[in-house]
Amino acid sequence: MKAKELMIPLQEYLKSGDTLKEAAHLLRIARRGEEKIGVKALPVLDEDGKLAGILSIGDILKAVYPSYMYLMDLGEFTWDGMVESFAKQAADKKVEDLMTSKVITVNEDATLMECIDHMLKNDVKRMPVLNQEEKVIGMLYERDLFYEITKSILGESAGGGK
Amino acid sequence: MTQETAAAATQVVMGSSFWIATAIFLIAYAVIVSERIHKTIIAVFGAGLMLVLKILEQNEAFHTEEFGVDWNVIFLLISMMVIINLMRPTGVFEYIAIKSAKWGKGEPFRIMVIFAIVTAVLSALLDNVTTVLLIVPVTILIADALQVDALPYLISCALASNIGGTATLIGDPPNIMIASKAQLNFMDFIYHLAPIVIVMMVFYIFVIKLIWGKKMKTKDELKQRIMAMKENEAIKDPVMLKKSLFVLALVLTGFVFHGMLHFQPATVALFGAGLLLLLSRTHEPHHILAEVEWPTIFFFMGLFIIIGGVVKVGLIKWMSVQVLEITQGNLFATSMVVMWFSAFASAFIDNIPYVATMNPLIIDMARQLWPNLSGLQLLHHADLMPIWWSLALGACLGGNGTAIGASANVIVVGMSEKLGKRISFGKFMLYGIPIMVLTVFIATIYVWIRYYVLKI
Repeated sequence: MKAKELMIPLQEYLKSGDTLKEAAHLLRIARRGEEKIGVKALPVLDEDGKLAGILSIGDILKAVYPSYMYLMDLGEFTWDGMVESFAKQAADKKVEDLMTSKVITVNEDATLMECIDHMLKNDVKRMPVLNQEEKVIGMLYERDLFYEITKSILGESAGGGK
Repeated sequence: MTQETAAAATQVVMGSSFWIATAIFLIAYAVIVSERIHKTIIAVFGAGLMLVLKILEQNEAFHTEEFGVDWNVIFLLISMMVIINLMRPTGVFEYIAIKSAKWGKGEPFRIMVIFAIVTAVLSALLDNVTTVLLIVPVTILIADALQVDALPYLISCALASNIGGTATLIGDPPNIMIASKAQLNFMDFIYHLAPIVIVMMVFYIFVIKLIWGKKMKTKDELKQRIMAMKENEAIKDPVMLKKSLFVLALVLTGFVFHGMLHFQPATVALFGAGLLLLLSRTHEPHHILAEVEWPTIFFFMGLFIIIGGVVKVGLIKWMSVQVLEITQGNLFATSMVVMWFSAFASAFIDNIPYVATMNPLIIDMARQLWPNLSGLQLLHHADLMPIWWSLALGACLGGNGTAIGASANVIVVGMSEKLGKRISFGKFMLYGIPIMVLTVFIATIYVWIRYYVLKI
């Protein structure tokens, strides 16, 4: 099996100029397979449709986390309502300023082992799948790889499922 | 006097090595000021050139006091960094900061004054870069909790750290360098600089009250956020905290008596660092040692070699002759020129290379004034001492002038920018230059009265 057969074809994506507000909405309602249940990350494309980055829910936690908190152990000294007020301030930030721009990708013809190799070595849970023209055609999720592995473990016939 | 100095000037042989060394020195300093290439890279490359072109022999650069790396400065810096790196994870600095904010009862301006004093004291005992790194994150957290502008806190902390750092031998890199070259001890600095720094802090607090005193307002329910913070939760490792405080106390006591016991400050600090590493029982010293600011250390080492080169070829001696001609050999005029020139020079260029140049220049000047003296008789000549203090006061306090004047300012401005609270160069100067002029003015009066009128 190849990456392109296991990936979820690209439906929703973000644009680098989108605000965090727009991005948050889309992340919540994005389609995963058949259902609109939200996703943990979406690829970000620039004006030419090229991959510019990826915005994950981790990036959104970082968007409300003040950078001075990284410098000292201040977790005990925070207060109720702090996250909410930082979230309001962050609403108009641009996706391009919040996204992870160094994206780990995989080619559509990569084998599943190559996909696992990329995920484990780079500690990512999902990867945009690129075609030969370097365009994003889908997303490959850790969870789908897991299902594929369980099929073999449980002795189910390959090619079933999605 | 002018005849003598003119005679001394002719002794400088301006051969090819003179011009090569001068060119390396000038180009290196110009590139450092332009910030086109990282200053550490320039310093190390410049030092390499001095050695490869045989301006300086390697042996002179590594093993002589006159032309070489000042290992006293290097080991003092590294050792203090190691001690602080071992102390940081205990949570003691978070504890001090939160305790101070609660002391201020959540009142924004009261907290600002307490933070300024705490910053000044910590800067005097540690170094001011470390202090600012430790106090700024908490400062911003407190400002966020009180919903007040963080900028006044940031600027007032940076300025206070440079004033406080002036008070002691270990407070600011210029003092560390001056102490080593002039063979001054910790208590000399306490005796000559600390009293006037306390006076400056009183004036400083008065000035920040004028600027920000009335503007800082918050609601009572927000003050409760501060009062609800439990500072005891900051302490992560009480056992290590006790060990660190013990070693720090030992090191500070060592500094107080190092002159009497004939130890160099670096000996005291190195012993402290070694002892605390041992007591920490860490099996992996790698990350503690990796956190030493190696770029700063290499910057110092490179600079010392570049300066060694220009000292050897006589450029510094030539410069000292020029200074004496300007001041006509009048030592009061010389110390005033040194102080004010140092202040403005340190405001616009890094005060570390500046002081590295001035130290040998002052020693060369002393040699021309008193050709028959040497050693401590020369370095501690009663008429030379006010010049050392003027250099220390000018170079440390001048750092307050601009956003690039001192490392502490660079860090505060850099952190603020990351937080989206940009402090422009002009905005910093708006506060920095008046504070610098005020403190240097106080220093001028002090040096004049203490060393030229009362002569004590």
